[in-house]
Amino acid sequence: MDGTIITIKDLNVAYQDKPALWHINLDIRKNSRTAIVGPNGAGKSTMIKTMMKLIRPVSGSIEIDGRTDKGVLKNIAYVPQKGEVNWDFPATVLDVVLMGRYVHKGWVKRTQKKDRDIALEALKTMKMEAFCDRQISELSGGQRQRAFLARAIAQDADIYVMDEPLQGIDITTENLIMDVIRKLQAEGKTFIVVHHQLNTVKEYFDHVVIMNKTIIADGPTDAVFTGDNIEKAYREKGVGV
Amino acid sequence: MMEVLTSFTFIVVAAGTMILAFAGGMVGAISVMKGQSLIGDAVGHATFPGIVLAFMLIGVKETYTLALGAVLFGIIAFLTIQMITNHSKVTLDGALALVLSSFFGLGMALMSFVQGNPDFEGTQGLNDYIFGQAAYMLRSDVYLITAASVISLFILAAFYIQIRIYIFDPVFSRTAGINNTLMNFIILIITILLISVGLKAVGAILIVNLLIAPAVIGQLWSSRFSTVLLIAGSSGAFAAFTGTYISTAGENIATGPAIILTLSFLMALSLFCAPKGIIRRNIYKRRMGGVS
Ligand SMILES: Nc1ncnc2c1ncn2[C@@H]1O[C@H](COP(=O)(O)OP(=O)(O)OP(=O)(O)O)[C@@H](O)[C@H]1O
Ligand SMILES: [Mg+2]
Repeated sequence: MDGTIITIKDLNVAYQDKPALWHINLDIRKNSRTAIVGPNGAGKSTMIKTMMKLIRPVSGSIEIDGRTDKGVLKNIAYVPQKGEVNWDFPATVLDVVLMGRYVHKGWVKRTQKKDRDIALEALKTMKMEAFCDRQISELSGGQRQRAFLARAIAQDADIYVMDEPLQGIDITTENLIMDVIRKLQAEGKTFIVVHHQLNTVKEYFDHVVIMNKTIIADGPTDAVFTGDNIEKAYREKGVGV
Repeated sequence: MMEVLTSFTFIVVAAGTMILAFAGGMVGAISVMKGQSLIGDAVGHATFPGIVLAFMLIGVKETYTLALGAVLFGIIAFLTIQMITNHSKVTLDGALALVLSSFFGLGMALMSFVQGNPDFEGTQGLNDYIFGQAAYMLRSDVYLITAASVISLFILAAFYIQIRIYIFDPVFSRTAGINNTLMNFIILIITILLISVGLKAVGAILIVNLLIAPAVIGQLWSSRFSTVLLIAGSSGAFAAFTGTYISTAGENIATGPAIILTLSFLMALSLFCAPKGIIRRNIYKRRMGGVS
């Protein structure tokens, strides 16, 4: 159960000619709650997007569940930092959550009752059931975030990759999200979460990756999340530049 | 009035424009929601030189060849727009304006060249492709429109769920295994196809309105994706019928402008009366305590 679920080997990523990630080598443990921390511009989002094959790396490899093909992405629910979705699109919250079920469909893509039930259950989990028929454009920022987390839950993936899901969210919702994450972890899911509040890392995550363009340290939070490592990551412009 | 309604020409023409406008409204709603309505405008104008060149090559105004010329130039125009935006600092709206005016200008230049040239006969009908003249539509035009519309709607139905996810959230659609490039290509191809077959009925200048106006109407009346598409298609078809009637009954009214005017009227009406229109919004605001 406690094997490695994601293996990154010698990953290099650049935007045009500007390097963003250097020689990333990283194992992410199966069934862990892994935080990714580092200063602004450290390349946290870049690393996640590369995992999701949204960015093509200069070199290196990413193995997920032993696979490198595109199909493996269906097992990953990805919640981007800022949902770059079409906010004017005519869709209700339930419509959006139902989209999460798409990955489980065969050639006939019609929504079945089972999908509806799962979507409604996911909305309940995120305490969004009252908004089920609300237009997605008519939600507050925190409600939007919850709707997208509900979609990720409805997707019923093995791996959850979230880019700062707690950003701009009140403490009640934050606790709710962390409870859901712990509950799903108990069901065997793996969480990779970009996280900005250093004071809650120990409480919220059992594993941590500290990075700034390159990996500074990674491993169990208790062992790795030390003042020394944090200082290394947050000191000036980064390492090796 | 009954004479017009039962005349064979009218039935043929009305059927053609209605099918075209129904498919155009649906496909247009997708382009509009994707934020691409102006690409349709540029492509619409850019098909005109394709028509004239096809005519110059074969010497007659043969429906299928002219449509093929239009499709080709629509694709060339789109590729040009992409090339300009990808490889230069020119923004999308700049590239659109550039392509629209230069392609259409080329079409106009070619047309005046052919019209003043004794080597070419039967050039007078080329004007119809600028403003549209449904009354001169041939049976082959209607067949072509029907075939293109049915194919477009069929493709739309086949990829409906994927297209819907892709337009709402392209990042999610990609990670969910939907081929975004293919979706974009499908939307573009059916847009170009419908524009090309509809030129004779509505004209290169106004055809984009057949894509945009129904979409606006649909979005004003509904906040469900499927309903927006249906309303867009239906209002397009209704305007096509009314416009064709006006144009067939009255003497010198081109069909394109007549259809577009009807659409504009429907749009103005919706803008005021629809749930998301001006009046209802204000009533709602007042009920909520007058805070705007
Ligand atoms: N699309 C892009 N084009 C060019 N450079 C980019 C692009 N996206 C990010 N970068 C650069 O790559 C570096 C890493 O960015 P990234 O978004 O991965 O950082 P991050 O760790 O997620 O930061 P934050 O904490 O602010 O979210 C930054 O220097 C950024 O300026
Ligand atoms: Mg980021």
